Amino acid sequence: MENDGKDCPVETIESLTKEAEALKKKLEDERQKLNDITLATVADRLDIINYMNIKPRRTLKGHQAKVLCSDWSPDKRHIVSSSQDGKMIIWDAFTTNKEHAVTMPTTWVMACAYAPSGNLVACGGLDNKVTVYPLSLDEDVSLKKKTVGTHTSYMSCCIFPNSDQQILTGSGDSTCALWDVESGQLLQNFHGHSADVMSIDLAPSETGNTFVSGSCDKMVLIWDMRSGQCVQSFEGHESDVNSVKFHPSGDAVATGSDDATCRLFDLRADKEVAIYNKESIIFGVNSVDFSVSGRLLFAGYNDYTVNVWDTLKCVRVCLLYGHENRVSCLQVSPDGTALSTGSWDYTLRVWA
Amino acid sequence: MVVSNLQQQRLVTEQLRREAAIKRMPVSLAVKDIIKYITEHEQDDCLLVGFSSQRVNPFREKTPFF
Repeated sequence: MENDGKDCPVETIESLTKEAEALKKKLEDERQKLNDITLATVADRLDIINYMNIKPRRTLKGHQAKVLCSDWSPDKRHIVSSSQDGKMIIWDAFTTNKEHAVTMPTTWVMACAYAPSGNLVACGGLDNKVTVYPLSLDEDVSLKKKTVGTHTSYMSCCIFPNSDQQILTGSGDSTCALWDVESGQLLQNFHGHSADVMSIDLAPSETGNTFVSGSCDKMVLIWDMRSGQCVQSFEGHESDVNSVKFHPSGDAVATGSDDATCRLFDLRADKEVAIYNKESIIFGVNSVDFSVSGRLLFAGYNDYTVNVWDTLKCVRVCLLYGHENRVSCLQVSPDGTALSTGSWDYTLRVWA
Repeated sequence: MVVSNLQQQRLVTEQLRREAAIKRMPVSLAVKDIIKYITEHEQDDCLLVGFSSQRVNPFREKTPFF
């Protein structure tokens, strides 16, 4: 165990800080060197989107306070939603019936998610916990509830990575965590953000070992789920990043922020490649999602609207009106035939 | 305290070393691939191109016959 100082020169705060500054500059230079054209310029030759016929088709009424989160079932028919009223509701979106209404031991249930099997949902919020509920029609689903993990601050988002056995959470404690559903064991911790994590999303690949997180520290981080390491980071937003979503190609992520912009970050170019904004849009974005091809980017805003952006030409193609308060969450259904939106007006809507 | 600051700065610098070492491609190539993916999937994107008929829209208005 000899310690020969020749191979590892003594690191001081000064030397490390100096190196960090040099690395930051190198990173910026490298990125700029490869910034040879804009997305909108390349997309110029493409046809504009002129057919848009998305209409409100269903309104889901039943929550008694702000809807904070929702998730489509893999069956493309059911939706789970959670609310400030402390309830989680399972809806049949075709009929608008409520199949389950579960009262949580907390208000502000900020996150909910369906498991890939469709037989399990997870939710949580101000209770700092992620709790799973097996779904069955014959009995009260809260009888079989199970607390899987606990953060040291509120849980803001959760998602099942490819199986019912694990759940990934993001929290106000500025970390993300991967939990084993059965044992409740913490499998991996993800440290890197310096403020509340608001949103996470999984890369759409079969191997699925990469995820993205967005935070109130304005940063977007890409993580390796196995090692727990942050592998890429994107800055650019000027305020909280409220929503992150992988492009269906898996090569880029879209983000929505309190700075009233949505952005597209390309993983392989390692930089921002598009910004979606207009001078007339001054309100924050709470939620973003792509249509199945990735051509459309839906974004829910604090001004009660959903803006639909052409991802490639970077222009707005359409505006969906209907909600009477902030649009807090939105999601395209698994087969891409419908868009669900949730709002502070206590309702969810389905558009198709 | 000094030790923990050093530790923290070491983590920051190590993170930057890793990020600086990754391979990058020109934006022109990266966006070409995104456009290719979208073009190949656009015809299956119902929210973009609509439904071949409203009958196949699972969320169409209920007909008055029911």
